[in-house]
Amino acid sequence: MEDRIMSKKQFLGGKNSNAYIVFYSTVMVVIVAIMLAFTSLSLKEKQNANILNEKKDAIVASLGLEKGSYDSMIEAYVVNKAGEVINTADSPLDKLFGLSASYAAGEYPVFENKTTGEVVFPVTGKGLWGDIWGYVALESDLNTIKGVIFDHAGETPGLGAEIATPKYQAQFPGQTIYEGDDMVGIYVVKGGAKGAAHSVDAVTGGTKTSEGLQNMIKDCLECYDNFMKLRKAPAAEETVTVNAE
Amino acid sequence: MKNKTFQSLTNPLAKNNPILVQILGICSALAVTTQLKPAFVMGLSVTAVCAFSNLVLSLLRNGIPDRIRIIVQLVVIAALVTIVNDILKAYVYDVSKQLSVYVGLIITNCIIMGRVEAFALSNKPLPSLLDGIGNGLGYGGVLVLIAFFRELLGSGSLFGYRIIPECLYEAGYVNNGLMLFPPSALIIVGVIIWVHRTANKDLQEK
Repeated sequence: MEDRIMSKKQFLGGKNSNAYIVFYSTVMVVIVAIMLAFTSLSLKEKQNANILNEKKDAIVASLGLEKGSYDSMIEAYVVNKAGEVINTADSPLDKLFGLSASYAAGEYPVFENKTTGEVVFPVTGKGLWGDIWGYVALESDLNTIKGVIFDHAGETPGLGAEIATPKYQAQFPGQTIYEGDDMVGIYVVKGGAKGAAHSVDAVTGGTKTSEGLQNMIKDCLECYDNFMKLRKAPAAEETVTVNAE
Repeated sequence: MKNKTFQSLTNPLAKNNPILVQILGICSALAVTTQLKPAFVMGLSVTAVCAFSNLVLSLLRNGIPDRIRIIVQLVVIAALVTIVNDILKAYVYDVSKQLSVYVGLIITNCIIMGRVEAFALSNKPLPSLLDGIGNGLGYGGVLVLIAFFRELLGSGSLFGYRIIPECLYEAGYVNNGLMLFPPSALIIVGVIIWVHRTANKDLQEK
């Protein structure tokens, strides 16, 4: 041990010389970088599996189903702006990892409850400090909200972050998003909705987050407008034929 | 000598407890103690980081240039915390979400830098490792103690399992909401310090 220190002292002119300090920091940083890169890469797969599970649970939670029932209950596919089901390179679940990019590319994932025909649309937008996102589940009439889950990256706890609480989200079920044929989304109203149509209360002290929430719901659901209209159209025809008989 | 090495492990558990005596690491003690599980994981994480940073820096102590020693300490600690954070995210995802920023903030936890600077840089690897484990456990122990009272009185459960029977609630018992807020942790820490000082007369200030 002592020998090594001695040799280091001769090496680059001693422990406190500038050359030694530069050498020491360089070696240290390289070693640490390799170590961190290795840990991060070797754990990435497991971490992504956890995040994917969380997303699956959020989707079934918005439908009011039990955790872990995603695989047995949900059928996922991707639609385009015109509302047609399209084939994409990556799965609908993969799309959730870069949802805004997927929206920009005109590819919109849909998660459908196989048995009831209820659908879940993933939504994404901007709050006050960063991203907000969530899942909006609609009843099979594609108009009434069945349930919502919202989450956020860094909204203020107690203010904007309230959108992620079950208490706040409990306002949404039963609200409708269509006014006749027009997609109006959900109005997030300052000062209390008091039972007005398509409206919920805004978060007190979270005005910007509330605005972001309103825009997110409207902008994102509008992308599914044609999909929902297409789904409703054949159903309407069917009723007509039944009546004619 | 043997005895002294052993003392570096046991001392921080009570006599020289980082939270109760040195009053270090209070911020996270208030933040992550609403439930036992995150407090427990936080205690373990700090123990791991404190032990390994002490060990690594004690091994490096003769080669570290004096002028950049704080930077070297920070790099080692930050690297360890990043690794711990990655492991938590991979294996106990829900807890890592609950701990959120506090795992990252272990880097700035005064206990770890304090032990490295005060102990590891001037002691051999083995006592340093034990000192790190001792301080981590001393910290974690107090965290778990605080969380025990907060979860029991605030939520009526321990480790998420309901402890207070339903019939008590029906008889009009209600959970103490204050226990879920940070001020209650401060009060509990205060009471624990009081009891601790009463038991250890030599710690009392004149």
